[in-house]
Amino acid sequence: MLGVYIHIPFCQRKCLYCAFSSFVDLKEKDRYIEALKEEIENFNYSSYPKNLNLPFEKGEDGAQKPKIDTIYIGGGTPSLLDEKDLTRIFDTLKEKFNIDADSEITLECNPNSLTYEKAVFYRKLSINRLSIGVQSLRDEQLKFIGRLHSSAQALEAIDIAKKTGFTNISCDMLIGLSSSSDQFIEDLKKLIDKGITHISTYMLQVEEGTPLAKMVSAKPHLLPDDDQSVEVYNKTSEFLKNNGFLRYEVSNFAKRGYESKHNIKYWSGDDYVGFGLSAHSYIKGNRYANANNFADYYAGKSKLEEKLSKKELIEEHIMLGLRYNGGVSIEYLKKLGYKIENNENLAYFTDKNIISRDQNRIYLNPDFYGINNFIIVKLLP
Amino acid sequence: MDRIKKIRNFCIVAHIDHGKSTLADRLIEKTGTLAKRDMQDQLLDSMDLEREKGITIKLTPTRMLYTYEGEEYELNLIDTPGHVDFTYEVSRSLAACEGAILIVDATQGVEAQTLANAYLAIDNNLDILPVINKIDLPSARPEEVKKEIEDVVGIPAMHAPCVSAKDGTNIDQVLEMIVKEFPAPKGDENGKLKCLIFDSYYDNFKGAICLIRVFDGSVKVGDEIKMMQTGKVFDVTEVGIFVPSPKPVDSLKAGDVGYLAGSIKNISDIAVGDTITHVDNPCALALPGYKTVQPVVFCGVFTVDGAKYGDLKDALEKLKLNDASLEYQPENSQALGYGFRCGFLGLLHLEIITERIEREFNLDIITTAPSVYYHVHKTNGEMIELSNPSSLPSPTEIDYIEEPVVKASIFTPPEYVGAIMELCQEKRGIYKDLTYLDTNRVRLSYVLPLGEIIYDFFDSLKSRTKGYASLDYEMAGFERSDLVRVDILLNGEKCDALSIIVHKDKAYSRGRALTEKLKKIIPRQLFEVPIQAAIGSKIIARETVSAMRKDVLAKCYGGDITRKRKLLEKQKEGKKRMRKIGSVEIPSEAFMSILKLDDDDK
Repeated sequence: MLGVYIHIPFCQRKCLYCAFSSFVDLKEKDRYIEALKEEIENFNYSSYPKNLNLPFEKGEDGAQKPKIDTIYIGGGTPSLLDEKDLTRIFDTLKEKFNIDADSEITLECNPNSLTYEKAVFYRKLSINRLSIGVQSLRDEQLKFIGRLHSSAQALEAIDIAKKTGFTNISCDMLIGLSSSSDQFIEDLKKLIDKGITHISTYMLQVEEGTPLAKMVSAKPHLLPDDDQSVEVYNKTSEFLKNNGFLRYEVSNFAKRGYESKHNIKYWSGDDYVGFGLSAHSYIKGNRYANANNFADYYAGKSKLEEKLSKKELIEEHIMLGLRYNGGVSIEYLKKLGYKIENNENLAYFTDKNIISRDQNRIYLNPDFYGINNFIIVKLLP
Repeated sequence: MDRIKKIRNFCIVAHIDHGKSTLADRLIEKTGTLAKRDMQDQLLDSMDLEREKGITIKLTPTRMLYTYEGEEYELNLIDTPGHVDFTYEVSRSLAACEGAILIVDATQGVEAQTLANAYLAIDNNLDILPVINKIDLPSARPEEVKKEIEDVVGIPAMHAPCVSAKDGTNIDQVLEMIVKEFPAPKGDENGKLKCLIFDSYYDNFKGAICLIRVFDGSVKVGDEIKMMQTGKVFDVTEVGIFVPSPKPVDSLKAGDVGYLAGSIKNISDIAVGDTITHVDNPCALALPGYKTVQPVVFCGVFTVDGAKYGDLKDALEKLKLNDASLEYQPENSQALGYGFRCGFLGLLHLEIITERIEREFNLDIITTAPSVYYHVHKTNGEMIELSNPSSLPSPTEIDYIEEPVVKASIFTPPEYVGAIMELCQEKRGIYKDLTYLDTNRVRLSYVLPLGEIIYDFFDSLKSRTKGYASLDYEMAGFERSDLVRVDILLNGEKCDALSIIVHKDKAYSRGRALTEKLKKIIPRQLFEVPIQAAIGSKIIARETVSAMRKDVLAKCYGGDITRKRKLLEKQKEGKKRMRKIGSVEIPSEAFMSILKLDDDDK
């Protein structure tokens, strides 16, 4: 089924490591929400290749609409939006799509902009999953990367989410700051004790052109080296595993049943449509990306429109399939003309227990998620 | 006899960058040989690579007409390469002339190649006209430089024209002096044919072309000619002059400079320095000075993509058509597959050829570290010659090894003498002589192993003397030396393409430096990779590349797969440049890295 992503490109302040599309000028917000609404309304199947065969079903209002089962509102900082903004977005979505009753509806928020009132309102909008940008529970680290909240606020945000009835709560945590593995695990334990169900642990990436890149190019010792970070990562996954969190993707851990349905669409090759600045869509082998500046976005210009070739479909399927526990389909690759079973590296990796396989699929052993690029390149045609 | 009196054959010699090609361009322009609009800067340097490197490799002679006091003179300019790799070619070009313009930079004064080239010209009995160039520069000191020429080179220079080839200042004065100062060629156009081949090139339609200077007699289309050294016989199909593009003429006579074609299919049939005469009425003696050119620097050349071996072969064949001094033979490396061991006249020649393979033939190649030619005397009394370290017999079979040495002259301001002596010492040099040429210039003479010269000597000399010192050398035979082969083992497996032959005293430090360098270059693999340096079965150094632990793009944010795709593309590219040695993958640049060891060492 189709998933929907909505991008909210506003933040109170940009984090020092951020290389994504986000702006601190909130004056643009009203015009942006209007444009977003328009984009959703105009979402037109004929602008995508024909014979899409999107599953249309009769909605509550009796109209035939495409059915969706995930909505993900990301950013940026979506929790900066007020009730009016969110109401407009959700009304438009309901108008356009037939939202499945079991839908996973996620909203990203920052600890300092989540309030009790907002959380209550989110529940009312049928948002049922919160992804909280905790990043670290060490105040000096939060300051170092330019976050506006404290560790206390982060823990409080989880309390608010629990109190307002959220049962599916995810926290983003950054690995690669100065914490030792013990410290990092101590922090994770605090979060787990609060009752969260999902953790995304991202390895801090120093992106070119960010203030962080400048800071560390002069003083590389400010950050631990890769070996140290990998050490933390490995201890972390061990700890999470022992505490009932399954590593179901390179950066994602969840209690059983709490895997992110929306994110899995990205890796499994399911269809998703993205609305908003720099949002990406993938529909039946076609990839689209919206412009990443307001002027072009308002003008409806897209940054990318491409139909993937057979070769690209093969490469992406392997690249994404080895990122998560869904694995790679041998049959699907064969249909595209690639017999992965004949790849000599596959035998080697299987022999070394790096790759496991069953009848139809091959999977990367989670212990090797950290070097999945290396493995992927070896398994390409 | 009037004709020959109005010919002047001359060349221009100089240290690199003193402005040889620029002056040549100005002379061509001033004599109206080419209209200004047809001029391209540094016209005579026809290859792109030469223009880029600012050096002349191929010689292109040009005939210019110049009127002096009402009489029209024919000036034949023979350009010469200015690099030590090509000393023999320079000497043959000089032999085709009566005069040489010696250009000296008005700011830099006499340099190593100024002197080396001036002496080459003197040895060939040429009249020398010094010209002081670059007088437009604020730091020009023409009077001092003139004195330096008199003191150091030992030729009169007080009346030397002071020019700016760049701005075209005083070019007329140079032309006048060419006519007045240089002698007309001698020779009897009715005598027996005697021509010198001073260069050759390959033309796709006409075959190999000889660039010649006629000393006696005359040659025309239809003549049956003989190469006196190679003994080959050809029928002349075309003779002509360069204006500067080739222009056919009826005949070339004593004193003339031009070209000769004879359906010569193979450029190896033309030897630079050889003498051409008629089959019917041959001259008695060949011209003196002929030598066969031997390559002195060797390396293995392989394609990154093993399947392109055939393309590499074609490329070498085509380059060889134009460059008889390039030698190659098939070589098989366990590490790099099928390729060629190529011989060059020197490092510059090596660099030019390998760059041309990459650019003109669009091939990605791997070259192994350059080596020299060794004489290996075996215990059974046999002597073998080899340049490939991996063909060295086992130590028990070797009685002793000889390596090539050179006589090197280094010119430097006195303050760098200490640093240079230290460098020569490190490079196993034997001190010969130190001469003060004047108060601010010293000549140091050393005998050095060629193997040390090709290993980072130029760069070290430059960096230790802030670029003030210059070097010239000539081959000086073979000397016995205590040499060993250092092998590199990756994960316990020997990588033949990384073996080097070094002096015993340096084996440990080079082995250590090599393993350290490789540790930096070899990316982490799935498992730990030991890198060892060994002499025979004895390990002399070890480093370890630890197992890879991180190679992942963390985030596919908001379904943006494109970032990850780009990274994947980059990795796929990287994979192409990898070579597999046993179970270890190493990037192709590792093979050349051996050369650059000292940089990081210091």
